[in-house]
Amino acid sequence: MSAALDIKGLVKRFGGLVATNEVSFSVKPGESVGLIGPNGAGKTTIFSQIMGELRQDAGHIALDGTDISHLPTPRRIRAGVSRTYQVPRPFSDMSVAENIRVGLMPDSIWQMIRYGPNHDRESELALSVGLTKEQLQRQPSELSMGDLRKLEMARTLATAPRLMLLDEVFAGLTVNEIAIMSSLVQSMRDDGMTFLIVSHDLKALEPLIDRAIAIDQGRLIADGSYAEVIADADVRASYLGAA
Amino acid sequence: MLQVLIQGLLLSGLYALIAVGFTLIFSVGRVLNLAYGAYLLIGGYVYFHFAQTLGLPKFAGVALAGIFGCAMGVLKYQLLVKPLKGNHVAIEISSLILAVFLQYAVVFAFGDSSKILLPIIPGVERVAGAAIPYSNLFAAIASWIILIALWAYVRFTHMGRAMQAVSMDAKGAAISGIDANRVNMTTWAISGTLGAIAGVFFASYTQLYPGMWVAPLIVAVAVVIVGGIGSIMGTLLVAHIIGFLEVLTSSLIAPELRGVFTMVLIIAILVLRPQGLLGREEL
Amino acid sequence: MGLRWYHYVLWAAFIGGMFVLPEFVSRGTLRTLIFANFLAIFAISWDALSGRTGYISFGHTFLIGIGAYTTAILTKRFGVPVEVSIPLAVIATMIGGLIVLLPALRIRGSYFALVTLAMMELIYQLVQVIRPDLTGGTRGMSGLPTLTRGAANGYYMSVSLMLAIALSTWLLMRTRLGTALWAIGMNEDAVAGSGLSPTRLKMIAFLTSAFIAGLGGAVYIHYLGSIAPRALFDINFVFTIIVAALIGGAGTIVGPIIGAFFLTFLLEYLRPWLPGAERYMVYAGLALILYMVQPKGLASLVTDAAARLRRAP
Ligand SMILES: Nc1ncnc2c1ncn2[C@@H]1O[C@H](COP(=O)(O)OP(=O)(O)OP(=O)(O)O)[C@@H](O)[C@H]1O
Ligand SMILES: [Mg+2]
Repeated sequence: MSAALDIKGLVKRFGGLVATNEVSFSVKPGESVGLIGPNGAGKTTIFSQIMGELRQDAGHIALDGTDISHLPTPRRIRAGVSRTYQVPRPFSDMSVAENIRVGLMPDSIWQMIRYGPNHDRESELALSVGLTKEQLQRQPSELSMGDLRKLEMARTLATAPRLMLLDEVFAGLTVNEIAIMSSLVQSMRDDGMTFLIVSHDLKALEPLIDRAIAIDQGRLIADGSYAEVIADADVRASYLGAA
Repeated sequence: MLQVLIQGLLLSGLYALIAVGFTLIFSVGRVLNLAYGAYLLIGGYVYFHFAQTLGLPKFAGVALAGIFGCAMGVLKYQLLVKPLKGNHVAIEISSLILAVFLQYAVVFAFGDSSKILLPIIPGVERVAGAAIPYSNLFAAIASWIILIALWAYVRFTHMGRAMQAVSMDAKGAAISGIDANRVNMTTWAISGTLGAIAGVFFASYTQLYPGMWVAPLIVAVAVVIVGGIGSIMGTLLVAHIIGFLEVLTSSLIAPELRGVFTMVLIIAILVLRPQGLLGREEL
Repeated sequence: MGLRWYHYVLWAAFIGGMFVLPEFVSRGTLRTLIFANFLAIFAISWDALSGRTGYISFGHTFLIGIGAYTTAILTKRFGVPVEVSIPLAVIATMIGGLIVLLPALRIRGSYFALVTLAMMELIYQLVQVIRPDLTGGTRGMSGLPTLTRGAANGYYMSVSLMLAIALSTWLLMRTRLGTALWAIGMNEDAVAGSGLSPTRLKMIAFLTSAFIAGLGGAVYIHYLGSIAPRALFDINFVFTIIVAALIGGAGTIVGPIIGAFFLTFLLEYLRPWLPGAERYMVYAGLALILYMVQPKGLASLVTDAAARLRRAP
């Protein structure tokens, strides 16, 4: 069986800065992997390359055995991968329901016109991430950071991914909201979703992952069980060096 | 041949002056000032009014044009750009509306018909069969002097270096304690002054009429697009490409087509090489 | 499409009102109304692309121009009947626009506006020199076949076309396609991040816009019976279209219609005081103030008030 996500020799440069330096790793179907590293290590940059929002300078990215390295972003999403953003960026003038609606849209323009929105599916998705029915008609500006993250999750789920990339899902959340978000991820894991999760909150991350990968200054420095990676000398040094 | 060379040089100098005020705003404030052409328009008419109708000395006319342009730049920044806080679409649209407003304000004050500006310096020099009005020669030399002065200003003064810093990295500049508001306002003031003075020269090259703001705006836009932003040298280079293209087209093909290649150049560059010929950080 | 009873009532009232209007107004007013109808068509066309997606087109008269020139040349030089030449003009507008602007649609933000601006100047300069035997050069063409005689018929024709275009665009924009285009205006990357191709969506918006512009331009020319390049490829013409859409309210259908009627009548009522082109000064000044005060346009004043009423218990 081919890996859900397979990354080989990924390189991305910004001028003189090598933000991703020969990074290779893979994620098995149904697995949940944590991606950790200090600020500026290059975690978000890896996500952007998987999604095609940034083009890699070298290397390959495969999804379920299919090379997606050169596909445009929308095609990659149709191929089954989707992400959340570190800074939530909803469609600012649209209601929560309309935001989710965009994620639910079909590829075919004709079907987009022919069939109206699926209101049931919209509210089902909103409820599944813990938003309330009343919030469906709210504007994003009226939501708390926790609810914005939930909306990000709902929009990401709307595209029906098999692999989800979560970027700092716990940042800016209260303890309560972190618990809600964790149990949401847990229940999706139980349903067989594959995850790659970036988080600075290692305590919240630990129970959600099967494995961890650490990167520093664009290079992969450790890959193994959470305990192994966190005990790794390089990883400790990189975190201390950053602090 | 010599004639083309001389005309090309003179026109290019003027174009560089026209473009530099526009690129300045674009690189420092990241704003496409579609009302830039209106500075030229107002500059031309202010000069006409004071130097020609009221008979003040010509250099006083040019200076007054510069003062008006400076005031317009500052007013525009305070009343329009600042309130719209970085909403680029809104700034572009309101700039366009402003330009049209000014165009008809000129119609209201001076009428619809075009005016001939008397040469700033009368007389004609004949070089190799080509008639070179002193006025055009003066415009080109003045343009060069202004460009060099601007270059020195940006290079060597405190404010000039702050401008450079803001244009390279607005956030970083703010962190290092540069007052972005003052830098922006200074830039708008300089841009307005340069535009208005360029307007006097441009009007004496062609004609003074209310719709005259569109053509120089397109030249300025072309320079930004082809040359990339921020560098005075890039502006100079591209101004010469465009100036010579126009002179060659009108002398070798047809005068009516003089602007066509400028437009084709803009479109081709944007479509084929969106980052500009000489590179551009932002797109 | 989620149509409610009041949608039917409002549209019926609007259409009914527009059709009985000629009974109550003078012939002079009728002619003004005709121009308002055409301006509304052009503003709806501009809005279908720019108002929704935020890609500001300064070259819209380029599209109108292709439609107008195609039908003018076909009828005048080749004797093609109007019923054939108008559909051909619409097709030519869509194809011509696509060839020229398709590459431009890949360009982001401000640069799109610049390409379209350059495009408009380019076409204006070319029309005058390329095949003046066909285009009539700087002078344009006159004596084109007209579709109607008399102000009342002209009004009914223009208002039917305007209403048909308004209603169909309104219906189209109420579908999920409309939502997707609106989303592009807010955050194009997030649209791509939802699995939709922004380029393809923009192309659909563009084709819709070109269809309306070509149709409007062609019919307009056969209402006037003449065509002149300076009137068509004029920055002030684009400007009037953009301002109509904006002060009415971009991204809506009623907005551009309100804006078009407001502008046309404003210019008409200013005529006794300011007979010349200075009138545009008043209207540009007013447009600038309106835009700075309420960038969402006059239509939003109405919808905001309605929303406030609905929220009140
Ligand atoms: N578009 C860009 N242009 C230039 N440099 C960039 C760009 N995006 C990221 N970088 C740089 O690349 C490096 C990696 O950034 P990235 O955002 O991937 O880090 P990260 O691991 O996600 O950090 P954080 O924990 O702060 O989110 C940083 O040094 C950053 O400044
Ligand atoms: Mg990050």
